[in-house]
Amino acid sequence: MTALEAVSVYLPPVRIPIESLAGPLGLTAMQVKLFRRFHGLREVSRDPDVSLYGLLMKAAAGLAALRGQEHRVRYVLYARTMPVVAPYPVNPLHEVCGALGLDHALAFTLTHQSCASGLLAIDVAGRLLAADAADEPNGPNDHAGPLALILSGEKAFTRDAQVFADTTVFGEGASACLVSASGARDRLLAYACNVRGEFDSATGENDARLQREYRPSLAEVIRRALDEAGLTLDDIRVVLPHNVNVVTWQRMCLLLKFPLDRVLLDNIPASGHVFCADMFVNYQTACERGLLRPGDRYLAAAVGAGGGATFAAMVFEH
Amino acid sequence: MAAQETGLDAEFRQRVVVVMTTVLARLLDREEPVTEDMRLMEELGLSSTFGLELLLELEDQLLILIDVELMDADQMTTVGALATFVASNSRPA
Repeated sequence: MTALEAVSVYLPPVRIPIESLAGPLGLTAMQVKLFRRFHGLREVSRDPDVSLYGLLMKAAAGLAALRGQEHRVRYVLYARTMPVVAPYPVNPLHEVCGALGLDHALAFTLTHQSCASGLLAIDVAGRLLAADAADEPNGPNDHAGPLALILSGEKAFTRDAQVFADTTVFGEGASACLVSASGARDRLLAYACNVRGEFDSATGENDARLQREYRPSLAEVIRRALDEAGLTLDDIRVVLPHNVNVVTWQRMCLLLKFPLDRVLLDNIPASGHVFCADMFVNYQTACERGLLRPGDRYLAAAVGAGGGATFAAMVFEH
Repeated sequence: MAAQETGLDAEFRQRVVVVMTTVLARLLDREEPVTEDMRLMEELGLSSTFGLELLLELEDQLLILIDVELMDADQMTTVGALATFVASNSRPA
């Protein structure tokens, strides 16, 4: 069963109040006020002196479990919101692999589900490793078996990568996560996902419908993931949300009849929406605060919007 | 539902209506008067963005905090329905 072996997160220490983004992004005073009052967004992390390569390396540097195990890493998956993040032929993913001694690994990027690509990467990594493990001499429970490294995190380098109109403000940061085909901790119990190609922001013709169906669609995959895990919301210790904004999760809790204080929202005002790294950022916070005890079940949820919309939910056991 | 049945402060609700119709006319750049029975989306073409902006203006002008998280599509049908929601689900700032 797919397991998260170790997680590391890097958030640049420089915090920018969203008011100071108004000028560069052409936001009105009213839009900034809306972000602050209703969306609960106050600051984002930015570090203009650190490149995308630097961001990813800082996250990977914190992954102590990777050291000495590089030879076991068979796949490196870069989960990303934005399809293009560097001018050709610059390839930060391959540069990171080289610096980490992972040139032997098959490295590729997943962007197809926008901000839900982080959860997709866990699913894909788990399935690739499970398929390989079946052929291993010691079978799928080989604790020295193959690993996958999932990287995520982006630079807020264009306007589209800095703000999603009237919805969220993106913050810079990165995460690195080691995944195994089987492991004792943070076992993936279920994954549900719904890809809705009709919600393509390029045409915008279904934007109103997306707004109406956003929360019910996310609730549907959450319930489906719970069903698959044989659990109910009562079994969930904490929800690790996507950090899109606070009001979305306040409303989700009303819809799901789930207590708001069990959704980890504290990173939204402090860091903004850290692209696909939200789940890992929130996971680290949950661990640091002792919110997860061994055996606790928790739920991660994400929505990717852009070229279509993806609603995704994963259930884990810590 | 009549205001009296819900314990709603009718006078406060009326103040909400007055501010709301004025702000809506300005936001939507509309010369004709906005009335309570008008449908916000279908008739006035109010987007969700303008909807939030409207609520923010109401908060500023009436010195209140609105429980936005409690709002759903049912409360956004007409000007009057939204005024009732705001009057019932807000507190002094």
